[in-house]
Amino acid sequence: MRIIDFHAHLDERWLHKPIPDASHMVAAMDRLGVAQTCVYTMMGFYAETPRNNDLLLERSQRHPDRLIPFVTVDPKEGPAAVDELERCLERPEFRGIKFHPWLQAFAPSMLEETMVAILKVAARTDTPVLFHDGTPPYSTTFQIADLARWVPEAKVFLGHAGLADYVDPAARLLRDVPNLYGCYCGSRPGDLVHLIETAGADKITFGSDFDPGSWELLAERLDNTIEAGLSPEDLEAVLWRNAERTLRPSSR
Amino acid sequence: MIDAHAMLGDETYLRLDADELLRRMDAAGVDLAVARPMGAGMVVDHRAGNDLVLKAGPRIRGLATVNPWWGPKALDELARCRDLGAVGLFLDPARQGFFPTEPVATPVLARAAEYGWPVMMKTGAYVYADILALAEVARDFPGTTFVAGFGGFADQWFELPMAMRNAPNLMLDASMMWGAGIQQIVDRHGAGRVLFGSAEPRNRYAVVLKAIERRGLDESSRRAVLHDNAARVFKLEGGRP
Repeated sequence: MRIIDFHAHLDERWLHKPIPDASHMVAAMDRLGVAQTCVYTMMGFYAETPRNNDLLLERSQRHPDRLIPFVTVDPKEGPAAVDELERCLERPEFRGIKFHPWLQAFAPSMLEETMVAILKVAARTDTPVLFHDGTPPYSTTFQIADLARWVPEAKVFLGHAGLADYVDPAARLLRDVPNLYGCYCGSRPGDLVHLIETAGADKITFGSDFDPGSWELLAERLDNTIEAGLSPEDLEAVLWRNAERTLRPSSR
Repeated sequence: MIDAHAMLGDETYLRLDADELLRRMDAAGVDLAVARPMGAGMVVDHRAGNDLVLKAGPRIRGLATVNPWWGPKALDELARCRDLGAVGLFLDPARQGFFPTEPVATPVLARAAEYGWPVMMKTGAYVYADILALAEVARDFPGTTFVAGFGGFADQWFELPMAMRNAPNLMLDASMMWGAGIQQIVDRHGAGRVLFGSAEPRNRYAVVLKAIERRGLDESSRRAVLHDNAARVFKLEGGRP
């Protein structure tokens, strides 16, 4: 079955820890049968966001048919963040937007005006916006779901669909907020069954959170999905169909 | 193999009874499971929850739970559970509503120490279930083994290595931990500090066992994680890997 990984990281390092280059990521994908992977920065969450967007694009374009870059911006910069988003989205290779409010040090409600502007750009360009969720104080599942309500035209993703302690709230919010979607990334098979029973398989997309140095994590996250015992139709929706439908349309 | 952390009962969207757990154990080749109550049986209705895990048959051994806010009645329930063969104490500070360091918890921890029981606490949610709070009480009871249930999953995983360094009687329940996190603890603190657990019905045996197998542990480390550590900590017989 075809697989699209909606949540992974491609960078040269995370903090002090070096990360192997993109060829290792593609090798892991080949090993485990993953066709395409959506990749996000790591260091761009901390500093030099425009430069890191450019670097991510460059790294991902060494494997343009396999790696799909997501742009990030620093909303604490206000209008400059919206400008940076527009700049990046002029490149058709960027097919999603990623935020990690916990690491980027903002609560969306602190920056409502900028976040609304960003979400409106996302809606206009049909680009999904994925947020880390499941972690207080800036990335609770409730915070991200609330933000989705601000711009109903935008496609907002819970990047971990509740992760550890917010899975049940995530399931109910995914059911109740039409433009809220979930990336099943890190929680466990019993959680996935609940997410799908509550919100429907069309709301859930597979993600691994792996980077080029951790092929085992990709394997584990696939195990998490397979072992949930989903119907073939639901499994197909989670593993690729929803991702393909939701990604910003490609010009390729 | 000995599963150090399964859950029986009914909690929000998770449910598992002893018959189904035994079926899953057989399918995975697991000999013994250590189970604790979940849901109302863990938070408020301790007698029912404890009976569920303590009367589940010879291949399922129970961790007793009580809400420390019950005071003397909690200690009475622990005595009843000891008579029923409990092999340790399980607490969920977030669900049961206390800091591990709070005085209300001290009598319960002291009673577990008196019984020679290990103490597993669910960790990972911030505030009450802070993994570093568990490390604090582990230092207060140096003769008692404490187990970080779920290992700080998800976003306190990075606190675990140093917490274990600073509390030599603290162990990892690997039931919700990814393989690299398990490997990190083995490398830094030795395989003797890691317990294989399933977190069934939230997780699955196949997921955890494959994650452990991918680490390529040497045979003695593998055996320690899958069997020997649990046999030692919970004072169990059998359950050969």
